[in-house]
Amino acid sequence: MDHTSPLETIFRRVALGVILVFFLFPIFWIVLMSFQTNEQILRIPPRVFFSPTLSNYKALISGELITTVGSLKLTFMHNLWNSFFLSTTSVLVALVLGVPAAYAFARFKFRLGEDIAFTLLSIRFAPPLLILLPLSLLFNEIGLSDTYIGLIWVYQLICLPLIVWIVRGYFEDISPDIEHAYRIDGHSWAQTFFRIAVPLARPGIAAAGLLSFIFAWNNFVFALILGSADKQPVTVGALAFVTAAGISYGQIAAAIVLSILPTLALALYAQRYLVEGLSLGAVKG
Amino acid sequence: MYEKERRLIEAFVGGRMSRRELFAGLGKLGVGAVAARYLLNDAVTSAMAADFDWMKHKGTHLKLLLNKHPYADAMIADIEAFKKLTGMDISYDIFPEDVYFDKVTAALSSKSSQYDCLMTGAYQTWQYGPAGWLVDLNEYINSDNTSSGWDKKDILPNLLASDSWSGKPGDALGGEGAKQWCLPWAFEQYCISYNKRIFDSLKLTPPQHMEDLIEAAVKITKSDNNAYGIGVRGSRSWATIHPGFLSGYVSYGASDFVMKDGHLKAAMNSPEAKKFTELWVKMIQEAGPKNWATYTWYQVGNDLGAGASGMIYDADILGFFQNNGDTKEKGNIGFHDFIANPEAKAPKSNVWIWSLAMSNFSKQKDAAWYFLQWATSKEHDLFGAIKGDMVDPARQSVWDNDDFKSRMGKNKGYLEQFEKTSPGAKIYFTPQPLFFNVTTDWAAALQRMVAKQVPVDEGLDQLADSINKQMEQAGL
Amino acid sequence: MNRRVLPYLLSLPALIVCIGIIVPFVIAIYYSMQRYNLALPYLRGFIWFGNYQSLFTSSEFWKTVTVSLLYTVFTVGIELFLGLGTALLLRRPTTFNNIAAILLLLPLMTAPAIASLMWKLMTNPGFGILSYLISLVGITNFKWASSPTTALFTVILVDIWVYTPFIMVLLIAGLRALPRQPFEAAELDGVPRTFVFFRITLPMLMPYIITAVLFRLIDSIQQFDIIYAMTQGGPGDSTLVFQVAAYLEFFQYTNVGRSAAILMVLWVITYVLSLVFVKNWRRLRERAHGAV
Repeated sequence: MDHTSPLETIFRRVALGVILVFFLFPIFWIVLMSFQTNEQILRIPPRVFFSPTLSNYKALISGELITTVGSLKLTFMHNLWNSFFLSTTSVLVALVLGVPAAYAFARFKFRLGEDIAFTLLSIRFAPPLLILLPLSLLFNEIGLSDTYIGLIWVYQLICLPLIVWIVRGYFEDISPDIEHAYRIDGHSWAQTFFRIAVPLARPGIAAAGLLSFIFAWNNFVFALILGSADKQPVTVGALAFVTAAGISYGQIAAAIVLSILPTLALALYAQRYLVEGLSLGAVKG
Repeated sequence: MYEKERRLIEAFVGGRMSRRELFAGLGKLGVGAVAARYLLNDAVTSAMAADFDWMKHKGTHLKLLLNKHPYADAMIADIEAFKKLTGMDISYDIFPEDVYFDKVTAALSSKSSQYDCLMTGAYQTWQYGPAGWLVDLNEYINSDNTSSGWDKKDILPNLLASDSWSGKPGDALGGEGAKQWCLPWAFEQYCISYNKRIFDSLKLTPPQHMEDLIEAAVKITKSDNNAYGIGVRGSRSWATIHPGFLSGYVSYGASDFVMKDGHLKAAMNSPEAKKFTELWVKMIQEAGPKNWATYTWYQVGNDLGAGASGMIYDADILGFFQNNGDTKEKGNIGFHDFIANPEAKAPKSNVWIWSLAMSNFSKQKDAAWYFLQWATSKEHDLFGAIKGDMVDPARQSVWDNDDFKSRMGKNKGYLEQFEKTSPGAKIYFTPQPLFFNVTTDWAAALQRMVAKQVPVDEGLDQLADSINKQMEQAGL
Repeated sequence: MNRRVLPYLLSLPALIVCIGIIVPFVIAIYYSMQRYNLALPYLRGFIWFGNYQSLFTSSEFWKTVTVSLLYTVFTVGIELFLGLGTALLLRRPTTFNNIAAILLLLPLMTAPAIASLMWKLMTNPGFGILSYLISLVGITNFKWASSPTTALFTVILVDIWVYTPFIMVLLIAGLRALPRQPFEAAELDGVPRTFVFFRITLPMLMPYIITAVLFRLIDSIQQFDIIYAMTQGGPGDSTLVFQVAAYLEFFQYTNVGRSAAILMVLWVITYVLSLVFVKNWRRLRERAHGAV
């Protein structure tokens, strides 16, 4: 596959260039905006050159916005923490519940197995709006409304189906022969699962974990409806810069940049597991 | 406290002296501004406490549901005064404006007792009231639980009436059997806010009526000012209908509904309505923002503040925020009242009133009422209007206050437009629970007409038909 | 441990967690059969399929069905094409490719609700950089989300921008996980590259493609954040998809019954589509394994 003609190489580079520009230019522009005041952003026509300011970041991080009226309190950093806490715990819970289930669906043919797997998927397509009103009534009854536990539970709607169905595919791609050999050596089922199956499926688990983290991070309707102001994630928090007195685009841009950073760090960390994929090819099939 | 200072402050609290005079007087006595403000708040608090037992619910904890808004910011800045006055504790949940009413609907429909009081507008109470989620405040206003200083008559009567309704579709606001679902806090009325720089450069004067407006707006669009003529909202939402559009609409003598045989019938296709809508659509097509159909409050304001539009026909306070915030056109915005119909004598303006309501699920309603009467009091309204951005205040006494007048007077034409518009400023919609269905469809119909998908005449007939059908289906 | 019990033990905890979610779902079905407007409590009553009947006889609702399906077909189709193309370009695990793959995830990391605010600004005719850029090539009267003819295109564009990386990352992982032997054998035999792609790569990748498309499909037909933030369903009702219609019914019109009925229809459509995909998923998996 390395025998590419020069023409093809050029084509591939141009195509990749176009793709990178399309996907990254808006991000680049948002980063630029995060260093501008609103007055600089709202210019006709828009300009690439400007004298940068750190005031947006300062306001977000210190939690104080100096305006003509006085100093306003911002809860952005707390929102960021909520997002981080909710997404991390939800993904961890989903991994603990989902990876064994995925393994069961991949390795065993059991009665109702496919039905259970499909039911797990189907919770993903219950539209959130449909269940939110009854759910908030239910949560009021059982005392889960406005608690982190209640929210983490609801976040399983986002995370669990993704993890079960993506990881399942990876388990199915790994030949069961290795596990058989290991078990014949006298190891228990649990040892086989943790020492052989899970490490082999690591790229899939990493990809599923990363993606469900991102989806949990981007959600806002659950916390908005079920939580009070101190449980709100960064997605709701960033909307606070849209007020009757105007939209603070600079601060929203800075909020986007700050809210991307944790996810980006996680993606860079997960990267090492994602690339393992190729080296695993040898043990498959 | 020293005798001289006390007398000065009492004179101020008693309304015999303006704030400026007070501070000047205190300055002569060697009291600094910060200390003076402290002394003053103290005096206001003790003046309020003089004839009423504010401490009755001491120790109670109240929780508010608030919208992220300059009015809420002003209230929070003053909240220590309330705590001191009543000995109550208070906390609040603030949600961004974009999602605020979603949160309110979610909280109230789940019958959660979490919140005692909340911010709302009148239109929302046409749902929340009949749904049984709000308390009729008349029960409290006319009881011993209300301080004599609260002074109901001082609240602009049009606003108080606009916030009360019997719950029967079509009944007049503030009419017989009306329940006070909420209390006006601060509001906005609709006028022309224009860019003086652009108007001067083109030697234009603020427009007097619709045709005049279109002419001026076209001139601005065609000039080389890099700006279009007139900013109005256009998104597919009730918010597109209620500001300038409805104000002009009623000025032409049109109404949203008429009562026929005890049933409400849509009247968007009456001759007056068609005449005005025709002009409105033409105005947007010829001199409105290019992306009009996505325009909300924010875009209309942004464009005015950034010099991208020559004028707006929207809330006076929207122009005010752009004239006083960190915008390019800061200080360049002027205000003018607007009589859309050349044959009408005085301006008519619809209003949006940010109001405070009490949740029916609150478990401490008496204490919640104490908060409501404090938050809608003369004292707090004045604080918000001078120290915060609580404009336009809902109380006449604030409009009569010299400090407030001098603050607003710095905005060219603001006080004049307020005085001329305010007598005809009230809610002009017919109250009924399908308000949001009707106005959303109305906005969608306008979008189709502006995009030339359907002629105005035909579009309005279709709209009226569709609304009549919905009213029928809902059993109204 | 007993092989018969083990799979149940492994999968039941996940299932139990979900059942808590299913209870409200059943309540919602019940709502969908009621005349139930929160603002008109005295009219509340059980009306069997009245809400559904009123939906199916309304032309606006069929418009919503059409728009939603169009939106889904275009977003998922284009995203699959772009995502697969990008994954193929970034297939080899070089440092550059790995970094590019992570950077391309950035759009997915910006929450759609907030990203849409930025897109609205970037497509503003005055301050918007995108409007400015296309004006440089002579397109001056493009109205983006504001014209009924281009609004659907605009929201689809934003969806593509946000969600293509999702498909891309799953397919890169899939491509890199494919066994090497078939490719090496094909190369030794001098099999043409297009043949290798259509006969080996694509079939072996198919289970991954199906998983990725399945999740995109579910999310796309239920899209709300992007569309509501960009157009609120307008202009006219040119972008009034299921979730926006249901949202308006619930939160603005407080019509719980009708909102639940709309969402039930959406649920059924999603269910059927997913079922088709999952059936194929199984079949293709078996075939992919057979091919190796």
